[in-house]
Amino acid sequence: MLSAGIDMGTQRVKVVILKDKEIIARSQQFSGFEPTKAAEQSLQEALQNAKLSRQDIQHITATGAGVNMAPFADSTISMMGADAKAGAYFFPSARTVIDIGAEDARAVKCDENGVMVDFIVNARCAAGAGTFIEAMARALEVELEDMGSLSLKAEKASPINASCVIFAESDVVSLIHKEEPKSEIARAIFDAMAERVSSMVLRLGINKDIILVGGVAKDIGFVDSLKRRLGTEILIPEEPLYAGAVGAALIAARKAARRR
Amino acid sequence: MASEIETGTKYIPEMSEKEVAELGGSIKASSLKVIEDNIQRMKKAWKNRPEAMEYFDEISNLFGRREKEIREQKEAGKKVIGYSCIFAPIELILAADAIPVRIGSGWYDTAKLGDRIMPVEICPVIRSTVGAKMVSLSPFLELSDAIVMPLTCDGRTKLSEMLSDFKPIWHMNPPRVKDDPHTAGMWKEEIQVVKDRIEKLTGNKISRQKLREAIETMQQATKAFRRLQDLRKGDPVINGRDAMLVNQTILWDDVKRWTQKVNELCDELEKRVEQKEYSSYPDSARVMITGTPMLWPDSWKVPNLIEESNPQGIVVVDEQCSGDRILYDPVGVDEWTMSDMLTAIGERYLMACTCPCFTSEHGNEDRINWIIDRIKEYKVDGVIYYVVRGCILYAMEYARIKRVLDKMNVPVYYLDTEYTREDVGQMKTRVEAFLEMLEARMDI
Repeated sequence: MLSAGIDMGTQRVKVVILKDKEIIARSQQFSGFEPTKAAEQSLQEALQNAKLSRQDIQHITATGAGVNMAPFADSTISMMGADAKAGAYFFPSARTVIDIGAEDARAVKCDENGVMVDFIVNARCAAGAGTFIEAMARALEVELEDMGSLSLKAEKASPINASCVIFAESDVVSLIHKEEPKSEIARAIFDAMAERVSSMVLRLGINKDIILVGGVAKDIGFVDSLKRRLGTEILIPEEPLYAGAVGAALIAARKAARRR
Repeated sequence: MASEIETGTKYIPEMSEKEVAELGGSIKASSLKVIEDNIQRMKKAWKNRPEAMEYFDEISNLFGRREKEIREQKEAGKKVIGYSCIFAPIELILAADAIPVRIGSGWYDTAKLGDRIMPVEICPVIRSTVGAKMVSLSPFLELSDAIVMPLTCDGRTKLSEMLSDFKPIWHMNPPRVKDDPHTAGMWKEEIQVVKDRIEKLTGNKISRQKLREAIETMQQATKAFRRLQDLRKGDPVINGRDAMLVNQTILWDDVKRWTQKVNELCDELEKRVEQKEYSSYPDSARVMITGTPMLWPDSWKVPNLIEESNPQGIVVVDEQCSGDRILYDPVGVDEWTMSDMLTAIGERYLMACTCPCFTSEHGNEDRINWIIDRIKEYKVDGVIYYVVRGCILYAMEYARIKRVLDKMNVPVYYLDTEYTREDVGQMKTRVEAFLEMLEARMDI
């Protein structure tokens, strides 16, 4: 049984192909100005990697902010529903899945079957999401990939305001003027972001195990800050960027099975 | 000591006639489009929408038939009394042969005008109502001879000052602790004061007979409303949006005619129950909305989202002062003496009210109990807790209500928004995820 999930993210399109619930191919593209085209290319690439053709896939489920622009979906699932499915797939003990993407952050509570039972979203402000790190890396003139390791060198963190990207940026500029070390500013940025994310998670309630997915889960600096804020271990799957696509592909597999 | 304030210093700056005409005209035009769009969407979702709904579609035009009627009656000598909140005793207004109209604004575009006077953190219902006044948009506010303003929340308290630039304002000071020993007496005095003011403005004495008739008129309206509500308890024969519109139009319609039209609608819907002719899929998730008032026309964005979502939800009941709370409780009179009637009016408006501006020894337990009872009666699958930014009281009560609903195993989603159309995409994602979750629970 072959199924595919496609996650139409605000920054990247991700595609995952499953064979009997095993991941056999992944691919990703920048969404750019033509997300539909990006999705088509990404699917083609994944199919080529798996040496399959479009007709071999029994069901495709789309998710993500741009779900309506998915060109070939047989069904759709909400981002939160996909997160819950993926979290329980990666770690059967998952009860809370935190997903931090480019533009938004969300936390989903799920049961042992990967069915979502509650969720909370921060879509109002990018200060809790990936683009915040990007903007701050630019302000510090540091490569995005280096922000994490830089922050881990810090001995302390200076407090900054993360209620808004714009305010945070001016806080960062004043820290630069105070000649604070870059590492400490980087740590402050991750702490501020983790503060926002953890207060969102705490409103939902801490239910272990906590899984972190989404592109930002790859950032070791943020993960370190979030662990400290939540005071608990956080589990991260191998390829956290693809969690939404995996969740969608799992839904697709179930739909295809039902159809028979 | 003499006041240092120059007499007549106003909140709201002068605007040129040209700007008022231009802005007012363009906002009115866009509002008419929103009204038409909402109705078309309701028609599209409910294929066999009964003819009896057409009356409410007509009354829903804020610049149409009802404006004309009120204007004509005013020219013939009747007084129009506006009110900012359903705390105003409608029975007394009717008993003096005056026309009651609610003046709160559901226009998103005028909230931006309100931003010229106050910061965006302030509740948009307030900013929008002030903005509507700035460009003379609301026919009902413009036609009002006086406005009853119960000072329920902070926003309305200062709104009363801003509107006093233009209109006579009659404050009402509701006691906020329901179980305080002085409460009932204080509130009855407030009612008495408003009664005197209404009599003075209209020149009509509110006699015992007149007041009894007005109470009975409102009781009939409650009866019709409850008949419609009963029809929402079973498989859907009316969509939530349509019922919400029916319930809200009483805020500006003629009460007796409204009652008759609701009964006609119910006659038709009761037939449909027998014929199993449903307005939506009977197994759609059954949603309750609670929170900030959702005023016509722009705030229909939320019920539109719920009922056009995939999977679909249907709003079966709400706990809002723009909806089911308006008519839920009738005035209950023991003896038809003037004193007893005024006491009964006081009790109906104060004690029965579930607004979060009240508290008691047990907090706002009336609201929690109301929500629990309605969840059971209407077989609610999930609750949308709707709050606009700046609506502090509703936002603050969420934490406790969420805990109660968690214990009942009823999912609740906190949907926060603004008077804007720009967040519809984000809200759609959240509403769909919530309904998807309700559907998944129903499968189990």
